[in-house]
Amino acid sequence: MKKILIVDDEDVIRMLYGEELEDEGYNVTTTGTGHGLIGLVESEKPDLIILDIKMAEHNGLDLLQDIRKEFYNIPVILCSAYSSYKGDLKSIAADYYVVKSADLSELKQKIKMALEGHIPFQSTRE
Amino acid sequence: MHIEENPNDIRAADLIVGIPSYNEAKLISYPTQMASEGLIKYFGNKNSVIINCDNNSPDGTRDAFMNTPTEVPKIYLSTPPGVKGKGNNVRNLFKKSCDLGAQAVVVVDADLKSITPRWIKNLAEPLFEDFGFVAPLYIRHKYDGTITNNIAYPMTRSIYGRRVRQPIGGDFGFSGELAEIYLKQGDWTPAVVEFGIDIWMTTTAMCHDIPICQSYMGRPKIHKPKDPGESLGPMFLQVVGTIFDIMTKKVAFWKEVRWSKPTAIFGFGLGEMEMPPPVDINLERLYDKFQAGFASHDALWKGILSTNVYKKLSEVKTLGFADFEFPTNLWAEILIDFAVAYKNGAHGREGIMESLIPLYYGRTCSFVIELEPMTIQQAEEVIEDQCIVFERSKPYLLRKWFDTE
Repeated sequence: MKKILIVDDEDVIRMLYGEELEDEGYNVTTTGTGHGLIGLVESEKPDLIILDIKMAEHNGLDLLQDIRKEFYNIPVILCSAYSSYKGDLKSIAADYYVVKSADLSELKQKIKMALEGHIPFQSTRE
Repeated sequence: MHIEENPNDIRAADLIVGIPSYNEAKLISYPTQMASEGLIKYFGNKNSVIINCDNNSPDGTRDAFMNTPTEVPKIYLSTPPGVKGKGNNVRNLFKKSCDLGAQAVVVVDADLKSITPRWIKNLAEPLFEDFGFVAPLYIRHKYDGTITNNIAYPMTRSIYGRRVRQPIGGDFGFSGELAEIYLKQGDWTPAVVEFGIDIWMTTTAMCHDIPICQSYMGRPKIHKPKDPGESLGPMFLQVVGTIFDIMTKKVAFWKEVRWSKPTAIFGFGLGEMEMPPPVDINLERLYDKFQAGFASHDALWKGILSTNVYKKLSEVKTLGFADFEFPTNLWAEILIDFAVAYKNGAHGREGIMESLIPLYYGRTCSFVIELEPMTIQQAEEVIEDQCIVFERSKPYLLRKWFDTE
């Protein structure tokens, strides 16, 4: 079972996304803060991370940079209520960018694509 | 064989900046100065050299380069008289970088007007941190780089699975190790020794498990942008022909690729974003050239394109300029059909490539119409969506390529 880590400071989002994705057959872990995120990723070893951008104490784009430094190959989907962050070049380090919606079909589709993504011999040095 | 002038008798270098050129006497001094400043400011502890790799330009490029005052020593390399092509220049640079034992090589265009010393830092620094290939990330006007946006980026991304936004940017960094790999390749086709070199370098890196990163340059690329309907030139044929050639050779690699992955990103925190200068495009001319293509190439298109694709193209032909639209999925399938026809060679490769040009004009016309009311950011979102359409077309490519339809 693929493990997904949701990083979002809104309880409702964590609960809604968590339930829907568990129904899809994923094993879901959530956190409401970016504090200690790298350690959490290290211990949980998720197959994919869903990352909010505008959080009370953290900027998801900066967290994405931190994740990329340590775990290059983990797929990350930025999930924000705002589409404007797409214009920030930092966002292209994510696998996908999804604008939050009550309908999770786009998010589910992008999760599938990110988990299916495959490149032969992809360098472990990246 | 090449011509070399090495007045400082440089025999070893850690870091090289190479500037390929042909008839760039008026512009080459500026990137040369910026390269020298960047090397001194950010890599003062390295042995560096700036190399102009030229095509024996008759306009005095050599003098303009060698007479530019720089703190960093310079070498002038040239192909013999009569031998032209950017790829030939870059191949001379590969050889020289191996001779000098360079760890890192940066290549910048000779006509760059917006290069800063920081470009050298951002293209070279990742090469000292285990990356083997560095591609540039810069803001370009939404109408600049139409071959990149409509062919080179979506095709390399969907075929090889790596998201390199400027695969033919012209400004790159590569490691000494990769220079050796490049030199050992046996596919130096007539297109690769000319403008096919940029896409060849990018895709060769992708197919050789080279760690790739993209580096933000901080300023837009300002050079000599051209209206694609006015001056497409041989560059289109060389770039697209090289994409098709490499597809044929690297099929064992790309047939396993599913979807795509981002690369590492380097060089943020460079302050305010500067907007690129506007690019003018004559839309009516693009539309007319697309329509004229039916008179010259209709029979060939019918032979190259699958029945359904040809039918959809015939529908697009009926659209007037006011409501013209050339759908992205049709464009992706056309490129796939052309790549397969190119591989099979049944219709003659030169004719196939020539006949793709009017279709490219049609797609570019539609693309520019769609982007007209948009900001650069919105245009990037359209390009991103276009890439997803190309990635979704991969099963069609596999069926066509392996003739299982």
